[in-house]
Amino acid sequence: MIKVKTNSFLRVSFVIFLALCGLSWVYLMSTAHMSVVNDDIFASSFEFVGKLVGKGLGRDAAGLSWESWSRAFFLGLTTVKMSILAIGLASLPCLLMLTPATRTLVFENVEGVRSLINKFFFYLFKGLFTLTRSIPEVIWAMIIILILRPGILTGALALAIHNFGVLGRLSSEVVENMDEGPVRSLRSSGASSIQVLFYGVMPEVLPKFLTYVLYRWEVIIRTTVVVGVLAADGLGREFRLSMSWFHYDDVGVLIMAYIILVLTVDAVSAALRRLSN
Amino acid sequence: MIRIWQRFDVSLLKGKSATILILMVMFFVCLISVDWSELSPHGGGRSSIWTILSGFTTLDLSREFMLIALESTWITVTYSFCAISIALVIGIIGGLLASGTIFESWLGKLAGVVGFRVVLALIRSIHELIWAWFIAIVLGFTPISGVIALAIPYGAIIARVFADFLNDVPEAPLRSLRSSGAGPIKILIYGRIPLASRDMVSYGFYRFECCVRSAAVLSFIGLPGIGYQIAVSLEDLNFGQVWTLLLFLVGLVVSVDYWGSRVRRNMME
Repeated sequence: MIKVKTNSFLRVSFVIFLALCGLSWVYLMSTAHMSVVNDDIFASSFEFVGKLVGKGLGRDAAGLSWESWSRAFFLGLTTVKMSILAIGLASLPCLLMLTPATRTLVFENVEGVRSLINKFFFYLFKGLFTLTRSIPEVIWAMIIILILRPGILTGALALAIHNFGVLGRLSSEVVENMDEGPVRSLRSSGASSIQVLFYGVMPEVLPKFLTYVLYRWEVIIRTTVVVGVLAADGLGREFRLSMSWFHYDDVGVLIMAYIILVLTVDAVSAALRRLSN
Repeated sequence: MIRIWQRFDVSLLKGKSATILILMVMFFVCLISVDWSELSPHGGGRSSIWTILSGFTTLDLSREFMLIALESTWITVTYSFCAISIALVIGIIGGLLASGTIFESWLGKLAGVVGFRVVLALIRSIHELIWAWFIAIVLGFTPISGVIALAIPYGAIIARVFADFLNDVPEAPLRSLRSSGAGPIKILIYGRIPLASRDMVSYGFYRFECCVRSAAVLSFIGLPGIGYQIAVSLEDLNFGQVWTLLLFLVGLVVSVDYWGSRVRRNMME
């Protein structure tokens, strides 16, 4: 039998985790108004799904009309555009900031170049990554909507700010866990800073960065619809309008288009990942 | 400079350069096709930038507001604990089914794995807040709907990843178990689960970190919590309160992340 290693920290963490789960359930059950919850969950769920596919409307359901599908297609294109803009706006500045952050770390124990300015920038970037990462896209969208007009770019910006932090954190972890061997041997054979960056750092960081970018793109395409509800564009806006008019058959078409869109982006991203390996 | 490029290992980066090129082209096509006039601030937008930023200097640290902030943080924490506990149960059961390790015949394996993975992919493709909206329509706009809505897609993601972990364990220990006559269930209990447990715990905790952030924005369907308070303060244009709440959110996320990274580091040793 294979033994699982544990230590006291892990055991204590596990107990605290379970205790907080229990406490949370007690709190939730004591505050939630259970009476609001419908008696027959299954019947009302089936009824809702029936509404989504357009049962008992008295007219043709939206899923049967060519127009609503072609409209969903063009809204989907807008949504894809928003997601690509978001991932681009997130990853390019992140890559630019990574270079100084990397340099500070890489040259730290080689030359002692870690000057005060380098240190300042290093912690500034780390703080910026943490701040942008901790605040979800939806909250960024609520703030940005006060400044900019609603639209594709506004939504993309909200998505980009959050994902900039996520990418920054993931890739700075790569830099921190980097194998120092190649860098040190390059150094000792007299390579310049730029050469170290290109031969030692980039070959190690870039492939992983690429994987993270593709992974975040898959996450972003799912979130674009939610941000679209707030930033008023693409599938998200139509989704909100159809919901508030109780046109559930339209909602059904939009959700179907959304699922197809997400699965397509997943497939494209998987293909790109295979290409890059 | 030229010599640097000459010595740059091209073969290693060929597929990668192609990928980067494709991504860049996609990005620039989108950049060109978008209407840039949208980016100019609307009437009053320019002045609100300043108002929002200056809110940082007028943080609301009064006692009443601190209590509100603490309470809403606590509500968000409870939602995330409730959601992750359901999601882990779904994830473990679903992971076992989707990994196909509990089926004996290859036919059952194929049907179970393919069918289940398709269902998981469909569940995962819908964002948790859209789930929340749908479930709230059926069950009512209560915290229970929010918790269930977070648990469903999170459970599906965890199930997929756990299934991969269970499939990717090293073969050698399993072979020795099999040669001593253990069936699939015994191999699972004594071989696969202990071997994959480290990755499973790390990933489960990482998902919990994400869950805290998702629980914060359940205000999307009008549930209380830190996101709700932020929305209220934003509507009041009280940016001092907004910044205070944002700092609470950042503090919450950072401390959960710190706990998670400690757990992961301890697992790795």
